Formats: sequence, structure tokens, C-alpha cells
Amino acid sequence: MNLGLKDVRHNFGRFIMTAAGVAFLATASIGMIGLYRGIVADALLVIDRIGADLWVVQGGRSGPFSETSAIASDMDRRVEGVEGVATVRRFVQISQQFEHNGKSRRASLTGLDFPRDKGAWVPLTAGRHLNNGHFEAIADRSIGLMLGEKVRLGLDEFTIVGLTQGMVDIGGDGLFFVTVNDAAAIAKRRTSEEVLLARSAFGRSGQASLPGSSVAQDSKIAAVLVTLNPAANPDLVRRAIMDWGDANVLSRAEQHSLLLDQRLWRLRIQILSFTAVLMVVMAIVISLIIYMLTMEKRHQIAMLKLIGARNRVIIGMIAEQAYLIGAGGLALGLALANVIFPYFPRRVVIDPGDVALLGLAMAVICGFASLLGISRALKVRAQEVLS
Amino acid sequence: MNGVPVLSVRDVSRHYASGDSIVRALDGVSFDIHSGEVVGILGPSGSGKSTLLLIAGLLDPPSTGEIFIRGRCVSSASADIESLRDFRRNNIGFVFQKANLIPFLTAVENVALSLEIDDIPARDARFYAEHLLESVDLSHRIDNLPTRLSGGEQQRVAVARALANDPALILADEPTAALDSVRGRQVIGLFRRIADSQQAAVAVVTHDPRVLDLFDRTIELRDGRIVAETSVLTERNNSLQNATFPQDHSQ
Repeated sequence: MNLGLKDVRHNFGRFIMTAAGVAFLATASIGMIGLYRGIVADALLVIDRIGADLWVVQGGRSGPFSETSAIASDMDRRVEGVEGVATVRRFVQISQQFEHNGKSRRASLTGLDFPRDKGAWVPLTAGRHLNNGHFEAIADRSIGLMLGEKVRLGLDEFTIVGLTQGMVDIGGDGLFFVTVNDAAAIAKRRTSEEVLLARSAFGRSGQASLPGSSVAQDSKIAAVLVTLNPAANPDLVRRAIMDWGDANVLSRAEQHSLLLDQRLWRLRIQILSFTAVLMVVMAIVISLIIYMLTMEKRHQIAMLKLIGARNRVIIGMIAEQAYLIGAGGLALGLALANVIFPYFPRRVVIDPGDVALLGLAMAVICGFASLLGISRALKVRAQEVLS
Repeated sequence: MNGVPVLSVRDVSRHYASGDSIVRALDGVSFDIHSGEVVGILGPSGSGKSTLLLIAGLLDPPSTGEIFIRGRCVSSASADIESLRDFRRNNIGFVFQKANLIPFLTAVENVALSLEIDDIPARDARFYAEHLLESVDLSHRIDNLPTRLSGGEQQRVAVARALANDPALILADEPTAALDSVRGRQVIGLFRRIADSQQAAVAVVTHDPRVLDLFDRTIELRDGRIVAETSVLTERNNSLQNATFPQDHSQ
């Protein structure tokens, strides 16, 4: 006879309330781990989707996702000439704050090297990829723009021709794809005062006879994305580019490592520490619940001992209830997480592997919690039935 | 009475330390109960009745003396009570003032539990439990939870549970205290019938004067000692044997 299950069925309301309490702790744990997974997924999104074998970045630097990287905008032509390189694309990403319809918005401006890159690697939920070299944009829905809307950035108006979902940068800002040339133009926007001051300085320096703009044109890109020929040796390509001295070369794996083991390291430790604290709280809560349930059952446990029940019957009843509370809490917590986390402003990734690990941790916690109740139950004497 | 007694209490004492003094809850008590006997153990509060029941039921060891069940010495001052759990399950049935039913089990499950604990398969245990409940006229209540049963019905379930493992000895502590006189007599009558039909020895701790005439013998305790042992003259045996328990209120 399954005493634990029968007790749960008899006191089902109380069981649900107890499991709900544990469920909130499980939801918080799933959320903590999921938030970290979400930040990692967001951080790796562009690196993984853009499909580059190598990233050529500023010499002595670790690339645009770790620190500032600025290389000459014509670096792509030099890289294209290296043996083993199949295609190159320029890459630029700039955080941008702008006003639209009276509201302040943030976006991560990401340059596509049109026409070589029309954004075919960007998954759309509506609209199309870029068809023109200027004034078209693909925006993530999180920015709050609609298909066909026009938005002013720098000195120009951009039409939203495509929409994405869940394409954000490491800071959670939605990606706003324009051509690299448009991105550079937006980045080069100057205030009137800046232009006047620059012209004034230009006049004093006696360089008025030089061609071009009187204002410094600091045309830089963040990186050059390299796709290698299938037969190319990545190490040889890397060595050839690094021999120039002004460029560094990173593989996709190195970008991953830089992000996860350096930039996100503290965040990872922080979140894991919070999760550990939650686990300890969960262990204490479940232990107290099981202990209280055992104390409530002292008379019944005494009766069971009186009629000759072996210890394993009593241990089974208590342990089973602990595990039912844990399993119920995990199931409810998972359901709750699936319902509420999609509405959170940052991506929360509910990874089955993480849930399995959480389940394992909760199983250990329930085992520990039931030990407390079991040790109390084994001290109950049969004659207590008379008390 | 002939043969080996089912319960034999030999010179049993139970002393408790209370501050600097020693409380003698039982002091050199000896008596036998044979199969088929229903014995009342009487006495005022604090006379040692419940202590005697605990010691005879192998729930507490005596300070001195020995307990024999079916001629086998099972408890003495050095007894490990925990290790007697299996023996207790197979040889002793308990009934108390409160029925002490497991609240989340139905009547039949409460009875079947005693059997399943003894490794009887669940289906057989339930079948026999139904039979036992039928024998105490509760066949219509087998699937009711304890909260849906009256006090008398709960007590009859407790009796059925005590009988589940076919014990040689049934010990009852104030089983009629929470019942009215009719129900109280029905319960003792039930013990009478069990003693007759199963040749069990039944010891009932009570101070309920309404049921004294239903015992074969009474043992009276005072200050931990037996002060009187009386055989009850019974014409009532005949009437009890003809009675239909427990719904026959004419008793």
C-alpha cells in the first residue's frame, strides 16, 4: 500500500499549496539559469549566425564583442587578396539611441556589407531582406518599430523593410541592420558646432588646398569577416594577415571563448552564486516542510510501529512525500516559467539539460530533507500512540 | 484453565525515577491469561493498568520480571523492544480508547495495512480485510474514511485491524471509554466472541462498571500491585453466544 501517495491524495489541497511554494523557488532557479543562458545566446547570436570563419580585427585587440575594434574601411580589400580567402565582408556594430514618435529608443546598429551581404543570414518574421544600398533597414521587434515605418537616424530616413524576433546584442538592445555605408554615415554624424570648430581648425592649419572635406572623416569599421575556401588552411591565412602587424585574427571558437570566459565570466559566477543561494533556501524550506509533516504524523507513525510496521514502511512514506513535493514543485515551477518568462524583457532560455540538472539537485535536496524527517520519525516510540 | 497460558506475567515491576525518589508503577505483578479468556484489568487512575498493558504488549520493558507469550519468554529487563516489532505484529493485537485509525486510509485499507505490513499480497489483504469488517458488521462501510464513521464504527474497525494477523493475544486499553453503554457492551461482546471463536486471550484495561459482567475474570490493581482477582459468575455467556453483534441493541 502506497501510504505517501494516499496521504497526498487525501490532503491534495495542502499538497498543491506546498508544491506551489517549492515551485516558486524552482521557477526562480530556472529563471536565474535561463537568464544567463539567454545573455550567452544573445551574445553569441551574431557570431554564430553571420557565418564567418575568421574575424580580422584591430591589431592587439580582441574584437568588437570584447573591446573597441577599429580598422580601416578598406582593410577588406587587403584581406581579400590573401591566399585561401573566398569572400570578405565588412562588419560594424554601434549602439544607437534615437527618438521615434516622441519616444526614446535604443538599438544596436549592425552593418551589412551590401551587396555582398543583403542579410540573408538574418531570420525574418516579416518583410524582406535589403534590396537597396541605402536607406533600408531590418529591425528587431524589441526596438518597437513596425514594417514600413520610417525612422530618422543621423541625417537620413530609413524605411523598415524587414522585422526579426529575438535578435539582440549582449546588452539586450535590438539589432537594427543597415548597410555598412549607411552605418558609417550614421556614425559620422556631426553637430553644427563640431563642423564649425573643425573648419576653423582646418583653416588655421593652412591645409585649405587639400582635396575632400574640411571636416575629419574618420571612416573605420569594426572587423572584416572572412569566409575561407574549403581547402584553405586557416592557420596559414591567419599567419599571413597577422604578419601585417596592424590586424589581429580571431576564429569563431576564440570569439566564443573571449565572450564566455572573460566578458561574461563575472556574470556567470554571479548568477551561479544566486542559484546556489536559492538551492540552499529550497533545501531549508523542503526540510522544514517534511519535518513539519512528520511531526504532524507522529501519532500515525507510532500507530504504524505499534502494528508492527518495519522502518522501511515509515521511511518510504516520508521519503516518497518529500520526492512528490519536489517533483510537483519542479513540474509546477517549469510550467510557471514557461508561462511567465516569455514576457520578460530579456531572453530567458529554458534548456532541457539545465532543467534535468535542477531536477537532480532537487532530488538530492529532497533526499536530504527527508533524512531530517526520517530521523525524527525513527525516534517516535510505539507507545506514543497512547499519548 | 489448562495448557500453556497465552500471556504469563511473572513478578513484573516497573520503576521510574522521579527526582530523588523512585515511583513504583508496578510492583511484583504476576498473573496468567489463557486462550479463550476475556480478562478485565481494573483499578483507579495511577494504579499501573496502562503500564501493565505497555509491558505485556512488549512496548516497554519491565524493570524486573519476565513476560511469557505462549510459554516463550519474550521480554525482561534487558529486552530490546525495537527488535520485538515483528513478534508483536504476529502475536498481539491492540485496541485503544481512541481508534487511532490512519485518517487518509479507508476502513478496509486500515485493516488491510496490518496484513500488507506482514507481506500479505495487496489483493489477498484486502479480501481478508473485507471479511474481517464483515465480521464486525461493517461491510457497508468498507470504503469510508474514518471521518465518515461514528465512534463505535471506528472502534469496530480498530478491532478488525487488531484481529488482522490472527493474534493469540488482544490487549485493549479503555476501549469503551468513548462509547455509550450499548456500544461499549457491544465492543466487549465482540471480544467475547473473538475469544470464543479464535481462542484468543483478551485483556481489557477498563474502569467502566457497565461491562464488568462480560469478563471471565477481573484483576484489580492498586498502587502497582494486584489487590484482587475475581472470577465473574456468568450466566451471561449463554446469552452472549446467542447474540448478534454489534447491532443487536437488545443486549
